[in-house]
Amino acid sequence: MQTQANQLNAIIQTENLSKTVPTSEGPLHILSSVELIINPGESIAIIGASGSGKSTLLSLLAGLDTPSTGSIMIKGHSLTEMNEDGRADIRNQYIGFVFQSFQLLPGLTALENVMLPLELAGDKLAKKSARALLDRVGLIKRLTHYPNQLSGGEQQRVALARAFVTEPTILFADEPTGNLDSNTGEHIIDLLFQLNQEQQTTLVLVTHDPALASRCGRTIKLEAGEIV
Amino acid sequence: MSRFNLAMRLLARDGRSGELTILVLALIIAVTSSTAISLFGDRLQRTMTNQAAEFMAADLVITSPHKLPPIWHEKARGLQLSEAKTAEFSSVLIENDELLLAGIKAVSTTYPLRGYIKITDSDYQHEQTIHHGPTTGEAWVEKRVLSALKLNVGDPLIVGEKQLKISQIITYEPDKRADLYSLSPRVMINQEDLLATQVLQPGSHVHHFFQFSGDLNALTQFKRWAKPLLNPSQRIMDVHEDRPQLGTALDRAERYLGLSSIVVILISGVAIAMATRRYTERHFNTSAMLRCLGCKQREILWLYLYQFLVLGTLASLIGCLLGWVAQEYLFHLLRNLLPQHVANPSLIAVMFGFITGIVVLFGFALPPILRLKRVSPLRVLRRELAPLPTSAWLVYGLAMSVIAVLIWRYTQDLKMTATIIGVGFLLVVVLGGLIYAFFQLSRKLLPHLNLSWRFALQGLLRNSRASVSQILAFSITLVAMILSFTVRTDLLDNWQQQLPEHAPNHFALNIFPGQLEEFQQNLEQNQITGSQFYPVVRGRLVKINDVGVQQIVSKESQGERATHRDLSLTWTNQIPEDTKLVAGKWWQPKEIGLVSIEQKLAESLKVQLGDVLTFTIGSQQMQATITSIRKVQWDTMKPNFYMIFSPGTLDGYAHTFITSFFLPDTQKTLLNTLVKSFPSITVLEVDLILKQFKTILSQLTQAINYLLYFALLAGFTVLFAAVFSTLDARIYDGAIMRTLGANRKFLSTTHILEFTLLGFISGLIAVIISEVIIFALYTYVLKMDFQMNIELWMVIPLTGAFFVGISGFWGVRKVVRQSPNTVLRNI
Repeated sequence: MQTQANQLNAIIQTENLSKTVPTSEGPLHILSSVELIINPGESIAIIGASGSGKSTLLSLLAGLDTPSTGSIMIKGHSLTEMNEDGRADIRNQYIGFVFQSFQLLPGLTALENVMLPLELAGDKLAKKSARALLDRVGLIKRLTHYPNQLSGGEQQRVALARAFVTEPTILFADEPTGNLDSNTGEHIIDLLFQLNQEQQTTLVLVTHDPALASRCGRTIKLEAGEIV
Repeated sequence: MSRFNLAMRLLARDGRSGELTILVLALIIAVTSSTAISLFGDRLQRTMTNQAAEFMAADLVITSPHKLPPIWHEKARGLQLSEAKTAEFSSVLIENDELLLAGIKAVSTTYPLRGYIKITDSDYQHEQTIHHGPTTGEAWVEKRVLSALKLNVGDPLIVGEKQLKISQIITYEPDKRADLYSLSPRVMINQEDLLATQVLQPGSHVHHFFQFSGDLNALTQFKRWAKPLLNPSQRIMDVHEDRPQLGTALDRAERYLGLSSIVVILISGVAIAMATRRYTERHFNTSAMLRCLGCKQREILWLYLYQFLVLGTLASLIGCLLGWVAQEYLFHLLRNLLPQHVANPSLIAVMFGFITGIVVLFGFALPPILRLKRVSPLRVLRRELAPLPTSAWLVYGLAMSVIAVLIWRYTQDLKMTATIIGVGFLLVVVLGGLIYAFFQLSRKLLPHLNLSWRFALQGLLRNSRASVSQILAFSITLVAMILSFTVRTDLLDNWQQQLPEHAPNHFALNIFPGQLEEFQQNLEQNQITGSQFYPVVRGRLVKINDVGVQQIVSKESQGERATHRDLSLTWTNQIPEDTKLVAGKWWQPKEIGLVSIEQKLAESLKVQLGDVLTFTIGSQQMQATITSIRKVQWDTMKPNFYMIFSPGTLDGYAHTFITSFFLPDTQKTLLNTLVKSFPSITVLEVDLILKQFKTILSQLTQAINYLLYFALLAGFTVLFAAVFSTLDARIYDGAIMRTLGANRKFLSTTHILEFTLLGFISGLIAVIISEVIIFALYTYVLKMDFQMNIELWMVIPLTGAFFVGISGFWGVRKVVRQSPNTVLRNI
């Protein structure tokens, strides 16, 4: 019964999720039969060696890529039955991202980068919210700076602000500290968990870093595309 | 609306960061030049048409040996056309015991409807321009009349039965024609006095000119109404179609204007395509990020389309403004050459520039933009995921459609447009394949080259598909510039050849065989150079293969006109200069009974080699067989003939001789002496007409030169812009190589070599394409002779190498100067 209740409440649920790509030496199985249930408010760390399929799993869960077989449900919507436009809607409504390589748009200032997702959703108060969040991450004096005028840590803080500004239901983070030194990385992680707490976001995090993984509520380990 | 606002904000941010500079620049150049050329061409064409109208003194003229029935005038009045009337005839004047065959011209008070008359009562310093003819009782005469008849201004002059007073000397008459009435010394009188002269009796030989002017639509309507009512002796002339005097010159100039326009648009289109490609490549990440943030593919597409639409509109508006300024400046430069009253700029021409801008932008930019919507959102995790390139069919198809529409607009010829596009497409495919093959071959060379050369060649080979399209893009730009240049040069040379500085400006007719030698000597003594003397027998074509010509020729055709009057028949042993046989063979000496016929007349009469023509000469009939068909250049100012017979064929018929010669202004007095010594010889002066013609040619030449500079300027600017748009990858590679220890000199050398190679190959390809296109253009459009241009083969590859090399070096100098870290962070 417990499992069923969990399944009903699950915010992310996968069934028999696999990803196979053809290569010159036959099909390569990146993920095989992944079964996963993530409940609202949970924080999950996906760990594993390079090539174990962590990033692929993340991209499938976030609807950035499509699986070869299996299904993914997000808040009761079947991602796998949607087309690309449907998945875009889901991303816009529920999902936020933080990337290892920050992915800020080079032509936009810090403020504009943070405003962008709100503007896409047609939010009239985009500027106000974006300012508030940049203030929250300590960059109120850097609003008009362009990404290449910011340090790595500052860029990732802008990225955090951008991810949280829409108050997403789920936040996907791909090696958020991978490009930062350990000191800066720690600050970013602190900030990430603080914001996560404040907004009650479900957090799915891919990392190599055992210390970071230990701060999450649950750890999923991947080996050769399978959960172990 | 919010999407539009967002698009605008993204656009503003991109604009601020300098992402759009090249694109906007290319677009502004395209619109500026197409607006300037369209405006300039349109105004020039209308000015020339106005000028042509001045040469006819009206927009539309009906020539007739009789008066027109009243209903014609009623119709013209109904359409609110202005009317004027002139009558021209020859009359012998006798004053002070001197005789003169004068060309009398009686004009109505409304004459001239277009243009002006220049008169003076003493000398050229007191010349004045007026817009009416003489009043009743007055006679205006050419200076020659005064000297020939020993008269002065103020003296009476008797024309027929009417005594008039000579009040002015005519120095310029707008509608002077190259016929007997116009070229005899002119006496202009008022139409009211015509009856009183009693010169014109029933059956008198007179030419009536009924002149009309007014609104173009009304004129067209009038012409359409009048045409079916014309009888064979009447003709209708329209400035828009017939353009007397200007002949093919203006026609070619117009085609050149059109060509220049297409050339500049093509060049800019290439730049836009390249700039957009760079723009989209730099926006892959943005697109991926937007997709991540929940943008749908369609929304992304619209986001960019909105931006381009607004960008296009703004750039086009700026371009229109600059274009307008540029053409005003052109007219300012040409102000001394052009007529005083230049036609006003037309809004349609400006609109055309604007529309061209938008069409060209989307024609060349849409395919790369479409790529943006296909960026996978997964790219945020995996940077190397680039969307599939847009299908080549779409890229080239769209661009070619745009160019095809433009070519069609200028040529109005679907078949020719299809040919040009078809040949162009085939060339691009074949040459693209050739370059690709060349690249594959040159891989074998790699191990044998030194490091700089190896890196340079590898730079091209690394992404051979991109290199092939770059080479093709540079080639097209170069081709466009070559076309502009070569066609212009040949066009001007051709005109120059047609009317060399000492082109004959006088004709002498009715030289009797007994006078021939003396007349020739007289010319030689005065060092006057003349053309060949041709014998002339007057005869009429009556039968073709024993069938009456009237049954064969179609109404109003050239053939019909030629059979309604006596033709000048001549004979000669040699093919005249400026003449080309298009069919058959020229005769050998002593072959008798053969005739060579002019090509157009042959077509109109539907005759072929071997057909037998029958002529009546005086009261006799004679026959000759067609053995050759000639193409004649009519505008050479030398005697030309429809029919040339083999020597001996016309023996026994009375004949006179005709020639033409050049007489400079300074020797003009010789004419009077000449006319006095040979009173029976008629001398026709065409120097005024020739002068008008030359003025127009020099105006056109100037205009065309400026257009060429414009096209070349656009070409070089765009070449620069295009090189810049291919730099990103090279800058990135350069920065990496520097981190690996490559020094600046090595990098500079490699880059210069790579771009020089790129430019050289492009130049070579460009020459091949150009020669093919020029051949087609000359043969089928401009109707000029084609000759392979050896200089082109040497100059263009080097030019390409030089300019592409320079711009490449200029573009990548940043890599060499800045620290690699700065470069890498800015990528």
